[in-house]
Amino acid sequence: MKSDVFKLTIPSKPDYISVARLTSSCISSKLGLSIDEIEDIKVCLSEACTNALERTDEINITFEVTKDQLIITVDDVLLPENDDEKMEEIHFGILIMKSLMDEVNFSEKGVEMIKYLEDGLHEKEKEL
Amino acid sequence: MALDIKINFDEDNNYWLVKPIGEVDIYTSPELKDKISQAVGDKKADIVIDGKELEYLDSTGLGTLIGILKMIKDNNHKIYIRNLRANIRKLFDITELDKVFVIEE
Repeated sequence: MKSDVFKLTIPSKPDYISVARLTSSCISSKLGLSIDEIEDIKVCLSEACTNALERTDEINITFEVTKDQLIITVDDVLLPENDDEKMEEIHFGILIMKSLMDEVNFSEKGVEMIKYLEDGLHEKEKEL
Repeated sequence: MALDIKINFDEDNNYWLVKPIGEVDIYTSPELKDKISQAVGDKKADIVIDGKELEYLDSTGLGTLIGILKMIKDNNHKIYIRNLRANIRKLFDITELDKVFVIEE
């Protein structure tokens, strides 16, 4: 099955992160994820966007839906290099992403966060 | 509406009661910080955060709460947090901040 891809680019401004959050909520809901899972995805996407915010003029987000996964990638998200106290929030953000998503992979490009899909998607597919 | 903040001093129990209504994220957390800072600047006391109408919070909100705790902890004051939604409560467990703030079940 070919995957379905959504792409979203938002200006790097704090007030637009809520737009990305709402979009993630909408897509997750469409996939039949539970309210709890949707809330988790919203927080993780926001954490990734907050991390990227000061590093870029625009934040590129991709949502890829495969048969059994929702893969969200956000460019320009980095692991902090030191234990500077100012980095506390960034550390919390990464801890939250790693705890709430099924897989979190960092690369030079950014972060890839994966949520495994269960029966919800399959039922949606049957409808289609 | 992204965030509305109600702050009142409870004279009977001697604490600041803070009710954030809506979402605390990177956009709205500075406002939360300013309002609570102003309150504890006027009067140092314990702070009770009522999370009943708090719909969303992330690391920026957690960082804000830590910043506020630093302002009052020298006077042995604490931050109490109550009525949190399960999905927000979970963030305090993940970051182990449930040991830093007093989370009331």
